[in-house]
Amino acid sequence: MVMIKSRPRHGGGPVLVGALLAAGIAASATAQPATPNLQGVWKIAAPTNSLKPVSGPVPFTAEGRKQYDENKRLQAKGDYDDYDITLSRCSNPGTPRLMLIPSRFKIWERFGVVTFDFEWNQVIRQVNASKLEPKEDRIGRRLVPSATGTAVGRWEGDALVAESTNLSERTLLDDLVPHTVDMKVTEHFRLVDPDTLEDRITIDDPTYFTRPWDAVLTFKRQPATLFHEDVCLDRIKAKQPAFPQ
Amino acid sequence: MRTEFPRSTLKGLAVAVAAALTLGAGAAGAQPAGPPPLGAGGLPSGGLPPLPGGASGGALPQLPAGGPAGAPLGGFAMPQVPPTPAEQLIAGLAPPSPGVVFPGPALGPDAPTSSADPRDLQGTWYHNQKLETRIQRDMYGELAPYNMEGAKVLARRVKSKDAGKPFVNASAICRPPGPLWQRDLNMPFQIFQSNDAVEFVFEEYHGRWRVALDMAKAPPPAQKDYMGYSVGHWDGATLVVETSDFKQALWLDVDGTPLSANGKLIQRIRKVDNGDSKPFLEVITTIDDPTYYTRPWSVVRTFVWNPRMTYFDEYNCEEQVGDPSTDPDAGLVPEPKD
Repeated sequence: MVMIKSRPRHGGGPVLVGALLAAGIAASATAQPATPNLQGVWKIAAPTNSLKPVSGPVPFTAEGRKQYDENKRLQAKGDYDDYDITLSRCSNPGTPRLMLIPSRFKIWERFGVVTFDFEWNQVIRQVNASKLEPKEDRIGRRLVPSATGTAVGRWEGDALVAESTNLSERTLLDDLVPHTVDMKVTEHFRLVDPDTLEDRITIDDPTYFTRPWDAVLTFKRQPATLFHEDVCLDRIKAKQPAFPQ
Repeated sequence: MRTEFPRSTLKGLAVAVAAALTLGAGAAGAQPAGPPPLGAGGLPSGGLPPLPGGASGGALPQLPAGGPAGAPLGGFAMPQVPPTPAEQLIAGLAPPSPGVVFPGPALGPDAPTSSADPRDLQGTWYHNQKLETRIQRDMYGELAPYNMEGAKVLARRVKSKDAGKPFVNASAICRPPGPLWQRDLNMPFQIFQSNDAVEFVFEEYHGRWRVALDMAKAPPPAQKDYMGYSVGHWDGATLVVETSDFKQALWLDVDGTPLSANGKLIQRIRKVDNGDSKPFLEVITTIDDPTYYTRPWSVVRTFVWNPRMTYFDEYNCEEQVGDPSTDPDAGLVPEPKD
């Protein structure tokens, strides 16, 4: 196991991003913003295949319920590629389903950009909480929705707030629950304690849900380590599940 | 069924990048016209001297009968050496597609700067030289020292591509392409490091290049990786990384310059800072592979500091490669075994 040192945690409470710059202190690659330190290796505390609302059932509209039932029917038939191309092709599970993956992930923060570096298939998602303009989109990648969409972040007190839009409807919220391309996912990431990370997820998709609804996931800090190479398509080729059992 | 998403609009994304590279058009070749490429060799001012013209791709000069003409060098005439059969085979190939490169966004006065510590490589970096779709020459401008086996493999791949039947390779089927091809792409990557490891996280290909600085804490994996096993140590301010134990043979570039599974890559990485807050990484890669080359040979690449490229575009090759309505091998054909 490689122990990778994380930067020291701040004891003085949250300070807004940009304070260093505002004070005229040049940021450097290793000088970190004075925000709560989410960096490290994390793993979901209670693995689950379902994104469960904090209270009550998923508030489907009739249209959302219809698509959900169709997904259940296809699942029962084993027709995964017709509703879940993560299972059939290893396609990126997207936001927020990535957070349900039972294996580990790392969080890196550089220049205000928060990178979630997943062990599973070496996928990443990023939250842009920086003041940096996104680089030029030379080949039009952002013209179509994607699995992790466009994620804009900001710090509110001790929480990193991430708002994701432009999310492809070819992804699911979990193993079955669908969404439309108009969905907005708002997440509040905060440290409950130094070794516990909470992700409060708000799903807002009026086409499929009658109202915005919340789910909460909790992650436990893991020992720092180098992950090994993971290629999901090799599992599919070997007739194994996309997610290791 | 939830497959009503307009798939046609997805064309041109991740897989197209891989396929275009594989087809020899080059990623940049499929891109719209943009700013002119950087200067000779794409090297920053104050950095390395420009490479010889042939070192950045293009047609090889024809080898005259009887070998290269003698050239006076301070009164010393170069001995005339007849081309080897391997060199003759390579010289007969059609030239590679020219690569281009687009400069990254301007840094601006408020851009974060790199650490003053030469051993702190952390940050966001971007390959600023033209993509070499076929490497061909070493950092001194000399023809890569192919042996006959190496020349045959490269010639087979180039001819197959030129015939419109390019071979399947790792990148085209969403597998890690190996450290050299991964770094050569003109896509950004971030470096994170500790005393025990250096991790390169690339925008493209779900790319990771993990370098263990302490083998005891990161022993070789139970099963070999596509990216091999990389162990590094500091030689002064230079990070020296030896990569070996590859899961399979690699293509070192788009046209298929070969590395056998038993080959080694030795990378010497240093941060060059001219004091203008615009450092760059210099990576000299030595290819050591007696299976395909008569001796080790080296290429040099530079990567400019650009924190404005830290927020990556998404890469999701699998969405399209696995699409049952498309060819699972992106239209490529299997390469015959040696």
